[in-house]
Amino acid sequence: MIRMMRQTRRQAVNTIRLAALASLSILVAGAQDKPAPAAPPPPDNKPAEYVGSQTCQGCHEDIYNNILKSPHQRVEVDKHRGWDGKACESCHGPGSKHAESMAPADIRQPAKLKPAETDRICLTCHLNQPTHAGRIQSSHVKNNVSCVSCHFVHKDRLVARKQADINAQCSGCHTDVWASFQRPFKHRLTEGAMSCVDCHNPHGSVLPRQMQQTVNANEPSCFKCHGDLRGPFPYEHAPMRVEGCMACHQPHGSANPRMLTRHEVRFVCLECHSNLPAPTPSATGALGGTPPAFHDLRSPRFQNCNICHQKVHGSYIDRGLLK
Amino acid sequence: MRLMWGRLITCGGLETRPWRRAGFAVSLLMMLTPLFGQEPAKPDAQAAAPAAPAKSDQSPAPATEQWLTGDFEVGYRWLPGLNGNFNEYRSVVNLGEGPKLLGTDFTITDPKKRLFDRIDAWAHNWGGDPYNTAHVLARKSGIYRFAFDYRNISYFNAVPSFANPFAPAGFNEQSFDLRRRNSSFQLDLLPGARFSPYFAYDRGSGHGRGIDTWVLGATDEFPVSALFSDHTDNYRGGLRVELNKFHITLEQGGTQFNENDQNNFSGVNTGNNSSPFSGQAIALNVLSQVYAITGNSKYSKAIVTARPFGWLDLYGQFLFSQPKTNVAYAEAATGNLVVPATLTFYNREQLFAGGGALMPHTTGNAGFEIRPWRRLRIVESWMTDRFHNAESSLIGQQLGATSTSNSLSFPTFVNYNQNETNAFLDVTNGLTLRGGYRRVWGDATVLGSSLSQTGLLESGTLNRSVGLAGLTFRRAQKLTVNLDYEGASSDNIYFRTSLNDYHRARARAKYQIAAPLWIQADFQVLNNQNPAPDIRLDFQSRTNSVMLQWMPNSGKRVSVTAEYDRSTMRSDIRYLGLFLAPATSSYRDNAHTGTSVVDLNAHGGKFSLGGSFFVSAGSRPTRYYQPLARTSWPVYRHVYWIAEWQYYGFNERFYAYEGFRTHLFMTGLRVTR
Repeated sequence: MIRMMRQTRRQAVNTIRLAALASLSILVAGAQDKPAPAAPPPPDNKPAEYVGSQTCQGCHEDIYNNILKSPHQRVEVDKHRGWDGKACESCHGPGSKHAESMAPADIRQPAKLKPAETDRICLTCHLNQPTHAGRIQSSHVKNNVSCVSCHFVHKDRLVARKQADINAQCSGCHTDVWASFQRPFKHRLTEGAMSCVDCHNPHGSVLPRQMQQTVNANEPSCFKCHGDLRGPFPYEHAPMRVEGCMACHQPHGSANPRMLTRHEVRFVCLECHSNLPAPTPSATGALGGTPPAFHDLRSPRFQNCNICHQKVHGSYIDRGLLK
Repeated sequence: MRLMWGRLITCGGLETRPWRRAGFAVSLLMMLTPLFGQEPAKPDAQAAAPAAPAKSDQSPAPATEQWLTGDFEVGYRWLPGLNGNFNEYRSVVNLGEGPKLLGTDFTITDPKKRLFDRIDAWAHNWGGDPYNTAHVLARKSGIYRFAFDYRNISYFNAVPSFANPFAPAGFNEQSFDLRRRNSSFQLDLLPGARFSPYFAYDRGSGHGRGIDTWVLGATDEFPVSALFSDHTDNYRGGLRVELNKFHITLEQGGTQFNENDQNNFSGVNTGNNSSPFSGQAIALNVLSQVYAITGNSKYSKAIVTARPFGWLDLYGQFLFSQPKTNVAYAEAATGNLVVPATLTFYNREQLFAGGGALMPHTTGNAGFEIRPWRRLRIVESWMTDRFHNAESSLIGQQLGATSTSNSLSFPTFVNYNQNETNAFLDVTNGLTLRGGYRRVWGDATVLGSSLSQTGLLESGTLNRSVGLAGLTFRRAQKLTVNLDYEGASSDNIYFRTSLNDYHRARARAKYQIAAPLWIQADFQVLNNQNPAPDIRLDFQSRTNSVMLQWMPNSGKRVSVTAEYDRSTMRSDIRYLGLFLAPATSSYRDNAHTGTSVVDLNAHGGKFSLGGSFFVSAGSRPTRYYQPLARTSWPVYRHVYWIAEWQYYGFNERFYAYEGFRTHLFMTGLRVTR
C-alpha cells in the first residue's frame, strides 16, 4: 500500500517535472524569437558611437556649413552644453554605424519620427525657454504639429523671417485662412506689410486663438498697431473690452467695409442693441439691449450708426459714444 | 464738402507727386548702389589668398564666400487709367504710380567676426507705396542679437456705403487718410547663455486727416475735418535665466500714450438734415474740438518653466498691467443750433470735460504636462484674467446762457476663468487620439447701454462647458489626417451674439499622390445656437478648401500651386425693430475664392502667372479679381529685367457706385550678388 502510494507520488512528481520541463522548453523556444539582452551582441549589433561632426562633414558638407552659420553653431562650440564637436549627433544620435554603412536607416531621422518624439529632441535644449510656457497649451501641440514643421534645423536661418515667407509657410496648412485674405477688406498680408505672427504666436499664448500678447503684456496684439483704441476709456463699449475685436470684425478679411461681420453697420449694432427691454438681465444673463427708440431706421441717416456714434470702440467724453 | 474731399485726396499717396514720394527710395537706392556695384574682385582675391584655408577654424564660412550677398529691385509703375470709384480703389488697393524701390534684401558677413557675425537687412515697397517695411537683424554669436523692425502703413478708408449707402456723392463722413508707423528695437545680450538680459523699445504712431461728424442731438450731424495724431511709446527690459531644470523670465515695462485729435470747421455747414427745424434753418458756423489725452502704464511679467523629472513639465505665467488714461477735452461751437427736446435755440455752445480711467489688469496661467506612460500624455492648464476699470468724468457744458455740469464715477469689472484638461494617447506610431474638457466661467459688470449719461450698471455671467476631441493619423510621410472637434453648452453668456451652444469641427488631410504632387483638403464647420425665445440665434459657417501642388523635378522647370475655397455663412437672430415690431436680422455669405500661381523657368528666366478671385453671393454680393503676370529675364551678369502686370476689378451688386477696375504695369531691374 505504502509502495503504491510512493509510486503514485513519484509519478506525480515526474509528471510535474515533465510539465515544468515542457513549459521551460516552450519559454526558451519563445524567448529565442526575441533578442536576448543578456547575450553578448554580435559585432554587427554593437551600439553606435559618437563620431563627431567632422565625420558628418565628410559627406554632408553643405549642411555642416549651414549649421555653422546658424544659431545652432553654439551647440558645436559650447562646452557647457556637452555637445561640443558633436552638434549633428545632438539631434541625430550617435552616427558611427551610419558613417560606416551610409544607410539612412542606421541613423535617427527626427523629421520622420512622431511629432512628439521630434519635439522631445528639440526640447532637450529648448525646454527651458519662454516659448515652452505657451507650447504645452498651444493648438499646434494639440494637433501634433512639431517644431520642425516651421523651423529649419539645417538652414542658416532657423525660421522664416520675411513677412511673405512667414505667410507662405502658415498658409501651407491654413489654406482657408489665406483665402480670407483674398477678400477686398483685410489686413495687408498679401501685400507683405504684415505677417501671421504679427498677430498670432505660433508657440502658444494665454489669449484665445494664440494671439500675441503685446503692449501691456496681457493685451491682445491688435493694440500694437491700433494703439489709439486701447484705452482704458472712461466710457467703455463693453463688447470690445469683454469679447474683443472679433465681436464685430473679421480680422482675416471680409467683403464688408472695415472688416465688419455684417454687410451694413446697423445690423452689427442691432444684434445686441435689439430694442429689447433693458437693462434686464434675461435668463441667460445677457448684457446690452437698449432701444434706439427715437431712431427711424427707415431713414438712411440712421442706418449707419457709426456716423454719429463714431467712438464705438470707447469714448473719453461721451457715454453715447458720440465724441 | 468737395473742398474737404480735395484736401483728403491730395494728402494721399496716389495722385500727387510720385517723384517726391519716391525721394526716399531713390536716396536709399543711391546708398545701396555702391554696395552692389562693387567689383567682385575683392571676394575673389580673398578666395585666392593662400591664408584662407588656414582661417577656416575661426570662420565657419567658406573663405570663398562673399562678404555681401543679396539683391535689390527697382522699377516704375504705371496706373494707365482707373475706371470707377477712385476712393474705393484707394481703400482697397492703394498702389500708386512712380519710381519704386520694390525690395532689397542683403546679408553682410564679417569673416573676422569683429563687431558682428552677420547682418541681415531687407526692405520692401518704398517710394510712395502704401506699405513700407524695413528690417535689420544683426548678431554676434554668444554676445548679442539685435533686431529692428519698421512698418509704415497707409490706412486710407473712404467707402461711401459705410457712411450712407443712399447718398454716395455727398455724404462722406467716417473717412480718413492715415499713416500708421510702427518701429521696434530689441537687443538681447548673451543669447543662449544661462543669464541673458534684454531691452526693447517700441513706438507706434498714427497721423493723418479725415472727416468726423459733430452731432447735434438727434437733429443733425455736421461733417467736419479732423486731424488725427496719436503715439505710444513702450519700454521694456528683462532677464532670462535658463538653467538645466528650470527657466525664468522676468520683465518690467512701461508705456506712454498721447492722443491729440482735433476737429475744426469754419464756414456754413447745414449738416445732413436739410429740413428746417420749427421753421428755422439749422447751421454750424464755427467748430473747434480739441482732445488732449495722455496715458501711461507699468507692467510686470514673469514666466516660469521647469522639468523637475523626466515625466513632468511645469509652467506658469503671471502678467500684471495698470494702464491709466487722463482726459482733457474742450469744444466750442457757434451757429444757429437747437436743443430739440426743449425747442431751445442758441448760438454758442461750450463744453469742457476731464476725467480718467485706471484699469489694473491681472492675468495668471499655470499648468503641467505629465507622462505616466510612454504612450500617454496629460496636459492640464488653468487661466484667469481679471480687470477692474475705475472710470470717472466731469463734464461742464454751456448752451447759450444755460450752464450744466455732470460728474460720474463708476466701475467696470470683468473676471474670466478657464480650466482645461487634455489627454493624448499614442495608439500606434502613426495614430494619436486626444480627448479633453474645458470649463469657462466668469462675471462682468459694465456700464449699461443706457441713453442717459448717468445710467445704471449691468451685470452678466459666463458659464460654459466644452468637450474636446481630436485625432492625428500619419502614414509613411505621405498621408496626414487631422481631426479636431469641440462641442459646448453654456448656461450663461454675456451677449446675445456670444457663443452659446456650439459645435466646431475641423478636418484636414494632406496626401502625396506622387513624388511631385501633393493635395490637401480642409473642412471646417461652426454651428452656434441660442434657443432663448427673445434671441433665437442660429449661426452656421462652413469652409471647404482644397489645395494642389505640383512640382515635377523639384519645380526646376514648372511648378503649379492652386487652391479653391468655398465658404458659407448663415446667421439669423431675432430683434425688435421699428415700433417694437419683431424682426429677424439675417446675414448670408456664400463665397468662392481661388488662388493659383504657375511658375515656368527656362534659360535663367522665370515667368509666373496667377492671381486670385473672390466671388460671393448673399447679403453683400461682391466680385473681386486680382490676376497677375510677372516675368524676370537675365540681361547681364547679376542683372535681371522684370516686368509685371496686375489687374484689379472690384464690383458690388448692391453698391455699384463703389466698383472700380484698373490695370497696373511695372517694369524694372533686379540686381543680385
